[in-house]
Amino acid sequence: MTATLSRSVPITRAPRGRRPRSRAAAWAAVAVIGLFGLAPIYWLVVTAFTPDERAFTFPPSLVPTELTFDHFTKLADNEKLFGYLVNSVVVSVVTAFLSVVVSAYMAYAFSKFRYRGRKSLMHLVLASQLFPQALLLVTLYAVFSASGLLGGYTSLILSFTTFTLPLCVWMLKGIFDTVPSTLMEAAAIDGASRWRTLHRIALPLAAPGLVAAGLFAFVRAWNDFIFALTLTDPDRQTLPPGLVHTYLGEFQTAWPDLMAASFVVSLPVIAAFMFLQRYLVGGLTAGAVKG
Amino acid sequence: METLNRRAAFRLAGLSALGAALAACAPDAAGGGAPKGDAAAKRFGFTSWSLNEEAQKAAVRATVDAYAAKHGVRIDTASFPYNEYLNQVTLKLRGGQLSGAVQLDISWLAALAAMGKLKDLGAQAAKGGYTDVALSSGRFQDRQLGLPWTTGSIGLVANTEVLKKAGVEGMPATVEEFEDALRKVAKLGGGITPYAAATKAAQLKDILPWMRTFGSPLMEGDTITVGDDASVAAVEWYKKLYDAKLIAPDVDRFDARALFAQGKAAFYDDAVIARGVVAAQSPDKSLTEKMAPLARPVLKAGDQPQALLWGHVIVVVDGEGSDAAADFASYATSDTATVTAFFEKVKLPPTTTAGLADPKVAGDAFTTEWTEKITKTATPNPFWRYAGYAQIETAIAEQVQAVLVGQSPAKDALARAAETAKPLQK
Repeated sequence: MTATLSRSVPITRAPRGRRPRSRAAAWAAVAVIGLFGLAPIYWLVVTAFTPDERAFTFPPSLVPTELTFDHFTKLADNEKLFGYLVNSVVVSVVTAFLSVVVSAYMAYAFSKFRYRGRKSLMHLVLASQLFPQALLLVTLYAVFSASGLLGGYTSLILSFTTFTLPLCVWMLKGIFDTVPSTLMEAAAIDGASRWRTLHRIALPLAAPGLVAAGLFAFVRAWNDFIFALTLTDPDRQTLPPGLVHTYLGEFQTAWPDLMAASFVVSLPVIAAFMFLQRYLVGGLTAGAVKG
Repeated sequence: METLNRRAAFRLAGLSALGAALAACAPDAAGGGAPKGDAAAKRFGFTSWSLNEEAQKAAVRATVDAYAAKHGVRIDTASFPYNEYLNQVTLKLRGGQLSGAVQLDISWLAALAAMGKLKDLGAQAAKGGYTDVALSSGRFQDRQLGLPWTTGSIGLVANTEVLKKAGVEGMPATVEEFEDALRKVAKLGGGITPYAAATKAAQLKDILPWMRTFGSPLMEGDTITVGDDASVAAVEWYKKLYDAKLIAPDVDRFDARALFAQGKAAFYDDAVIARGVVAAQSPDKSLTEKMAPLARPVLKAGDQPQALLWGHVIVVVDGEGSDAAADFASYATSDTATVTAFFEKVKLPPTTTAGLADPKVAGDAFTTEWTEKITKTATPNPFWRYAGYAQIETAIAEQVQAVLVGQSPAKDALARAAETAKPLQK
């Protein structure tokens, strides 16, 4: 079964002569935004290849005059850094997986079933986003401490999953809303159970949304600093606190080493994003417009 | 689009209140009363940010390992990044997750002492042979809660080569001579900042010793005196340097070090450890030979030079293994062989009379000169006695910055700073 949506939209052409100017303005806007986005990355890469004594040159030079690979070769000797990377991968992947699984079921229930308290529950899920997460740190610390979960991966994964759920649920609910209920009814007539309908029909149709939700949860877990620093033991800490711990201190500011490490550990995430970006864009916009 | 009707809103509010109530009912992680100290305990903790600082971790680890081997104990070490250290230690102490010995910056002592969980180390202090100024850095409300590990000061450092090029003879002793020297350096051009003084709000607390230099006590009894004539004069003088480009905008400690390391600053403020930190950033391998500590210039000859006391102490959390941890703290801070070996590795001056007199320490010209010229007259920041000292410093710094950028006259700005700081005195 296919559902098609066709609407005739009148297309009005911009007056001749104004198009090149508006196109130039659009390109200029893109260039400015691109500059803002890419300049820090450019500076990160330049600093990573700059010798220590040149990294603090004042005024700073935008184009490197001397290059070194020392900061990258030093990384190979740093076993701790590899440990932080492994912790980041474990925490982020499990968080992404849990977030997708839990939010998919919640979103499907909110979208396709009608029951007493549904709207209140939906708003409660959204209301949990209103609390600044940093404020929850102290309470979560006490709760995990009392339950003996402090120090390991569990406290971190549970925290991150909790924080990502509201957005994932609402994102996926929007996507399930666009899946026609007639599909489910057709499946039921054909004898499919609700379980089968959900897993064989609804979830495959929502795949781009699931990937987007997973990526959102992954990035949230990958980037967090304060929870990863506070809720885990040093040997379970993820990259953000690990990098700060390793390179920044009371008197040490090993910026070139920090930039080299940041550059290297970013590569797997960049690769994953490039591979999954079409799902991400599709997933984020899929539930935006109801047909 | 979903709309929230009144009934749903009430439900939502009720559920939110229930959630908040449940969160508030979370059990106190501190648990029951912790067992008391035991001198024979074979295991305790040691928390220190230096365990992760590249320049210091080997030396700290050596001290820990030597004590553990000598006494047959196991010391569980933990570390947090310096900038997050106080938050982490506070949270863990409140949650009952922190025990044993803990390294602290001297400015943080009041914040932790206020929680009432630190052991009185008076007995260890009495037999340690510490200098009076060092002991004062670990004292809170007449109780010795910290044993001083290193005691130094934040003072002025000069690049003698730049001064020589500018034709500055000798070190300036008064504010007038200092300003004169800055004007001579400014004439060198070449992008040199004569005095890389702090001008970013985060570091503008560096102006406090200048306020004292101009005669403001900062506090009298329990009254903050920022805003008095002397402090206003100090800020107006700072603004004069700023307008004359003798100090530069947007400079903090890291920027100042970078400028100084590149030979682009004649003076800047730093701690005694500056020598190693700046040298590591400098392309000039002989920079350390050109660095000279100087007493902060005084308003008129005969005044006492002002400097801010700086250092680290080791405190001990009351409870399990606290006696053994106190013995470790005493060993790390007062055993002469240990503290002199520590000094040789990290150049942080010891805190005992015997340690300072040891040839390995006394023979280090830079450290000795620093101690004589700067640390000797250094005093603690009077705001450190309050747990909210950092907010008080920020309130002052923000108003000083408003003066520097021309948003407010010094008198009005400092009056506002004092007003903001008043409720933070707790």
